[in-house]
Formats: sequence, structure tokens, C-alpha cells
Amino acid sequence: MAAEGVRKEPKSADNPILWVARPMATAARQFGKSLIRPSTIVYPFERLEDPQFREEVAVAAGKPIGVGAVWDNYRGVHALNVATCISCNLCAFSCPDLCIDMVTVPGGDPKHPKKCPEIDYGKCSYCGFCSDACPEGCLTMTTRYELSTAKRSEMVYSPAKLYEVFQRKLPMNPVRIELPENEDAILLDPPLCIGCNACSRDCPTQCITMIDIPKVGPKPGEKPAKRIWKEPVINDSDCVRCGTCISVCPKECLFWGSRT
Amino acid sequence: MSVTLLSVATAISQAILGAIGSVLPQPASGAVTNVNTVDGLAALIFAAILLLASMLNTIVLIWWERKLLGRFMDRRGAMHVGYAGLLQNFADGIKLFRKDTVKPREADTLGFWSGPTAYMVTSLIIFAILPVSTGWNSGSLPLSLLLALAVFSFAPLFIFVSAWSSNNKYSLIGGMRSAAQMIAYEVPILLAVVAVVLVSGSFDLQTIVLEQTNYWFWVPLFLALVVFVAGMLAEMERIPFDLPEAEAELVEGWNTEYGGMMFAFFMLTDYLRALLGSFLIVLLFLGGWTMPGWVPAAATSFPLAGIFWFMLKVYIVFTVFVWIRASLPRVRTDQLLRVGWNRMVPLALLSVVLAALLVTVKCLPVLGCIPTLGG
Repeated sequence: MAAEGVRKEPKSADNPILWVARPMATAARQFGKSLIRPSTIVYPFERLEDPQFREEVAVAAGKPIGVGAVWDNYRGVHALNVATCISCNLCAFSCPDLCIDMVTVPGGDPKHPKKCPEIDYGKCSYCGFCSDACPEGCLTMTTRYELSTAKRSEMVYSPAKLYEVFQRKLPMNPVRIELPENEDAILLDPPLCIGCNACSRDCPTQCITMIDIPKVGPKPGEKPAKRIWKEPVINDSDCVRCGTCISVCPKECLFWGSRT
Repeated sequence: MSVTLLSVATAISQAILGAIGSVLPQPASGAVTNVNTVDGLAALIFAAILLLASMLNTIVLIWWERKLLGRFMDRRGAMHVGYAGLLQNFADGIKLFRKDTVKPREADTLGFWSGPTAYMVTSLIIFAILPVSTGWNSGSLPLSLLLALAVFSFAPLFIFVSAWSSNNKYSLIGGMRSAAQMIAYEVPILLAVVAVVLVSGSFDLQTIVLEQTNYWFWVPLFLALVVFVAGMLAEMERIPFDLPEAEAELVEGWNTEYGGMMFAFFMLTDYLRALLGSFLIVLLFLGGWTMPGWVPAAATSFPLAGIFWFMLKVYIVFTVFVWIRASLPRVRTDQLLRVGWNRMVPLALLSVVLAALLVTVKCLPVLGCIPTLGG
């Protein structure tokens, strides 16, 4: 008596000839099926779907990318729009793997060279912090996943190469974490400032203007202060909080703080 | 006079030695073109051709198995090196031969190194015995069948030697299983061969094949064929009887400790033996190089037609082996021994009795009248 719930084997399973014949028939059927075309996709030479195709589908569907398909949320190779990059360095700051180097690219003036990210995909963990940090939205992550190279050095993507990826107009990963309103601002400690103009010069968004301040004479018994009588004023609405001004300030008179 | 492999080898030998002799001064020239020297070099060339042919066939056989097995598993098999991956095995061979061969410290040196070599050599010897076509081997040996089977059954001994001297528990278990398997399967194989010998009346493989001109022996001796094929699967240690290797439970069985060139030796010899098993099945049961009468004469009379049809049959037999490998799971040791002793020995005995009966009542020539079987 078969126990409750145990599937009873068909009677024919008792025949040892069938133990051999059945699997062999199954194998022969499989062989016949795959003789014309096996299921294997010969990957580098043929693909189930190619990125170009995916882009066409996304465009044809007219749907906002990020809705519906799994690959819409995929974080692959970055695309860099070199034209809108402001060299703010925030991507390199935010990178947890230190895989982003800011390298000089043509297009800047000699005083204010243009620097764009160069990404080493041997180190990158595809966390997406850099594209979240990018204030101009010029560094985004695409759904491109084919990265294999013959040399390790080819895994370092220069800004030019990242721009090529951008030009291919691959579907971008649009998921940007909405950062909370940043109440922090760059504050100035006026007595320390020497009015040297470094912050204003290096600000990637040109949101710092130097304004004239009244000249204060030396107190009795002190030497006259060696300084330019100007002070930076920061336009908070244009500031991207990159901190470049803090790092270039020779007197450390700029610091993070709250205006309220 | 028909062209035989030996005559080809002799001609090559004469040409080489004649060219050397014409350059040399007189006394040395006479010694070089001497009959004994020519025959000696001819024998070497003969052996070299046999070795090359068997090795090439073995490698093509491995390719064929990989491709077939791929299709059975809904994939493609080797496909990038050479046309359809035909050169993949050469690439694998070069890789293995370039590797270091490592001997475990506690292993027995003599047994560890001589085991694989003897395993390969004993398997290669059989190629000199088996006739592929009328002119292929050196001549007809009166007891070539017995010699072939005797040398064929050496292998488990060397497997056991190399397994034991590896000083590894998995190797030893694999070697033990190989020995047990040999004892269980040698008896039914030999009994099945007895049936063939009874019907053909000869131990000479060439005679056995020529006896099959009218009908192939698998028709009257179907039972013996089934027993022989099953026994050969166990002899060749192929799935479902690859217990000595059993990679799922014994790491790699008796060749666990072998790497590089020695592993290549083992793998090559495994397929060499698969080729030999297919050779024996074709020779004993499927008519060797003979073709039935309904095949048009043009298809059987072109040069090397015998070798062509023989190898075609061999590859078809091997395809069946691959099919079996793709279908059936590995049996347990106790199942294997029980099938060997309880089922196959009685079946083989039955086939011997049947063969004796057929020979006694002299009904065999009737088979030759059926057009699909011979003529």
C-alpha cells in the first residue's frame, strides 16, 4: 500500500527494459530537437538583445525610462557629457572606491583648466554615488554592461571614451536619489580673509563674487594689514556645494556652516 | 597483388634507404640497402603509420563525442578552434603536455610512473592485431581474437597498479572498483565471444569477418551482441559503468593524483579503448569491412572502400555509446556486480547454447538468402 501523498509509480516502471529505453528515447528526442539549432546563444557573436535594440524599444514605447523593465534600473558604464561638466570634482569626492581621477581635458582656459572624471572600471563598484553627486547631471550611468577587455589598462575610461558612450545615446539610468534640501552653506570668517580671489577664481559655477569692503586702518601699535580690501560673497542658489573654495582658500577662512 | 599497409611501408623504406645508399660509398651502401635493413625500417614505418592512424582517430573520436554530447544536452560543444572545433583537442593536448607532472610525495615512484605508460601501451598493441581491412594488418594471426581480448583485459591491472601507488584513498577505491568490474564483465564478454567463435569456426579475426560476407553475426547472435556491448561498456569504463572514475563521488577515481601529461595519457587511452571496443563490435558482429550485396558495387570497390565502410560502422557504434552515455545514469557497485553475475553470465551462456544449436542444425546459410542481410 502506497502511503498517503506518495505518488504511485506507473506499472510500466517495473519493467527494467523501460529503465533503459525511456531515457534513451528522451535523449534521442532532445538530440533531434537540438540538431537543427541548440538553445545555446554563441554570446560574443550573437546576442539575445543588443543595447541598440533596447534603446529603440524604450524610445518606441515612449515611456519614461526607469519604469517597467528591469534593465531600466541597471547601472553600467557611465556616460559623460564633457560639454556641461563644470569640473566641480564632486564625483571624485563621492566615489567610495577612489576609482575616479580628475584629468585635464582641452577646452579650459590656462588659468582655469577643465578637469573631467576618468573612471577605472577595474575598481568601480557601480554604486552610482558619482552620478547622484553630479550637480549638472552630466555624469550618468547607462545600461551598457559589456566591459571585458584584453588588457587591464583598457579598463580605465578616459573622459573622451566616456563622452563616446554619451554620444551613443544609450538609455541612461535615471534613478537619482533625491537628496534632502542641503541647508549647509559656505560661510566666511571675515577677520581671516585676505581677499586673495582664489575662491572666486576656482569656483566651477562662478557663484562667488568679490565685493569691496571699507578699508580698516591698523590699530595703534600694529603693522598695517597686508591684504586686498575685498571679500567673497557666495550666491547660495547657484552654489553646488562642491567645496572647491574651501580647499583652495590659503587662510582657511571658509568653512561649512548654516546660515540660520 | 593487392596493396597492403606493409607493402606501402616496405616501398617507403626502400625509397628512403635507396636514396641514402646512392649517396654512400660501396660497402656502407650495401649494408644500408640490405633486405634486413629494409624490412626493419619497414616495420618501424608500419608501426608509425598505425600509431598515427590510431591516435588521429582517437582524437577525432573525442571531438565527435564532444559534439554529439553537446547536441544531446542542447548545446554546441567545441566550436572555435579549427572548423567546428575540430582542432580543440589538439589545443587541449598541447596545454596538457606543457604542464608539469607532479608526483605525490608518498606515492610509489615505479608504480606511479609506469602505470599510465603500461596502460597506454597495452591498449596500443591491439591496433597491430585488429584488421581494419583486408590489407591493413601484417597478416592473419590464427589466434588474433584471443590475443586482442587478452591484451585488452590487461588494463584494469595497470589501473589498479597506478591507483594503488598513488597513495590516495579515492584512487585506491577507483582501482578496486575497476578490478571488481573486470572480474564481473570479463566472463560474459568471453562467453559472448565463444558464441561468435562457434558460428564462425575460427579465432582469426580476418576469417571471422570473411565468414560474415553472407550475413552479419548480429542477426543470429543478437543476444551475444547485447551482452558484448554491455560488457564492452564496462570494459571501456564509460557511463553507465564508469564507477572507477565516478567523478561525483571519487573526485576523479583512479586518476585523481595524475595531472598534465599523465592525465592526457589516461584520457587518450580511455578513448583509445572506446575506439578498440567499437572495432571489436564491428569485427565480431557487424561484418567488419564487408557490405551486404544490395549495396551497389561502385560503393564497395573504390580504393580504400573497406577502410571507409569499416570506419563508418565504427563511428556509428561509437555514436550509440555516446547516446547511451547521454541517457543513462551511473549504476551502483552492487547493481553493476549483480547485473554482471546474475543477468549477463546466464544470458551469455544462453547465447552460447543458441549458437551451438544454430551450428548443429545447419540453418545459418538460410540467413544469407535474405536480401537485406547479405548476398
